[in-house]
Amino acid sequence: MGSRSEFSPQTLAVLIALGEQPSAWQHGYALAQFTGLKSGTLYPILIRLADRGLVEACWQEEPAPGQPRRHLYRLTPDGLASAATAQAAAQAAAAQAAEQAATQARPGVSPRRGRPVAAPVVP
Amino acid sequence: MNWPSRIASAAARGTMRLIPAGRRDWAEAIWAEAHQVPAGWPRLAWRAGCLGLMIKEGQMVRRIGMLVLFTAAAGAAAWGAWPGSPVSHGAAVQGGIILTLALLAGLPLLVRSWLGPPGSRAARWLRGGFSVTILAMLPVQAAIGLFAGTVPRSGINRHTFDLVMGSGIPGSSSGGPDWGGEIAILIFTACALAVVLALTARRTPVAPATLVIAAGAGLVLGLVMYAVAPAGINFRFPDRPWLHGSAAETAVILAWILIFGAPLIAGAIAGRRCHLRRDPGEASVALAWQGLAAGVVSSGVGAVFVSVFGSGTTALLVKSAWVRDVFYYGQHVTASAVYGRELYASQDVQGYFVLLVGFPIIGLIMGVFGAGVFNPVPRLQGPGGPGGPPGPGGSVSPPAPPVSGRQVDAEELTHAGPPPASAYR
Repeated sequence: MGSRSEFSPQTLAVLIALGEQPSAWQHGYALAQFTGLKSGTLYPILIRLADRGLVEACWQEEPAPGQPRRHLYRLTPDGLASAATAQAAAQAAAAQAAEQAATQARPGVSPRRGRPVAAPVVP
Repeated sequence: MNWPSRIASAAARGTMRLIPAGRRDWAEAIWAEAHQVPAGWPRLAWRAGCLGLMIKEGQMVRRIGMLVLFTAAAGAAAWGAWPGSPVSHGAAVQGGIILTLALLAGLPLLVRSWLGPPGSRAARWLRGGFSVTILAMLPVQAAIGLFAGTVPRSGINRHTFDLVMGSGIPGSSSGGPDWGGEIAILIFTACALAVVLALTARRTPVAPATLVIAAGAGLVLGLVMYAVAPAGINFRFPDRPWLHGSAAETAVILAWILIFGAPLIAGAIAGRRCHLRRDPGEASVALAWQGLAAGVVSSGVGAVFVSVFGSGTTALLVKSAWVRDVFYYGQHVTASAVYGRELYASQDVQGYFVLLVGFPIIGLIMGVFGAGVFNPVPRLQGPGGPGGPPGPGGSVSPPAPPVSGRQVDAEELTHAGPPPASAYR
């Protein structure tokens, strides 16, 4: 399918979360809350995205008193473009799926090709 | 911070040290972020995710598996080689075993801190193979040493022993080398292991392909050497174990060719596959490294192969009647003659030490020679093209850059002369 995204739904969720405020640095916990992902899923995704140059990361300059420094993340320009493309592809796929579901629900229309099918012969 | 948290933090910090440097930041980040998560189960779940990440990114499963495998192999080798009560040099043998195992465990860590971890999968296999051979040599050495050193009480075996080994006290056993011998073996093992570790480290400029080529050439050399001795030829007995007549002579000729030819060819091929730099100096250094590594590794693998399998065969001949039947198949040899052959074979095992020292030196010379002779380093040429005497029309000077022209024109002309060094591959 042409509109299929190169990213998994979880990665897409992370990209969308980061794309909400593209210029702002975000924390891992905030991203976890936004996406609903657990740390064991979120951080491997962030690592892969950073390896591909789609996400940049840095350490917090001034940590809160008594707290360790936090790692911050935001999209790179490439990441922003990829996120926009992936989001558009996901939306297109979702629209296509919705249309298919609507077609299936309509009586007398083939679910595959959208053509009218012959009505069953009732004795 | 309560004590369970302190313990967890200490454990996490210790585990983080095992993670590759490029990933350590991420583990620290996820651990630090846990402070923002509400205490209790959510924080515990967050840290469990951190632990999972560390296990995955630090390749802990592989590391732990390797550790378990090494411990099991080392334990088995030590158990097989541990001297019994009749051995007179028992303390020296025990010390040698313990120090060898310490060397195998400690030297890789030391080299890792200087030259980095293994550079490739081939490097890892080479290191693993060499460690296995060192471990295998421990029980083999013990079996042969005990047999060769035990003085028969009487009869024809006693006469043969006196003939081969010199007279001794009946029933006594030297059981292996004394402290001097053990120290010499340990120094040699340490040097050989250090060379293998250095050549396979990430910061050493040896290509993975060089190691693969050299190991392949070394295996061929080792197989042919094994076919010669102990499988093929026993100089003291006319009825050779397996190979007869021209087959044995062919194997000997092939072995002589391969002793010098295997590292030469390995060096030449490794040099040909090496991507040379544009700078002739750097290209020469890269070629020399590939030649050196290819020569030493190919000859070293060959020597180690024939030493381990040759010594192993001799040890099995001593230990197993079944192996003796297979080895001397079709020959009607008396029990006393078998004893004599085993004793001679045990003495011949010492010859492998000469191979282990000599082969890598031959390999080093031939490998560097092969890499250098068959892969000449291109020289940077000037704008006038290749050198040589001027033709009948006299020498043609390179065109001078225009007076008001861009300087880059002259630079481009200069660099347009020689093709890139990689084009010479």
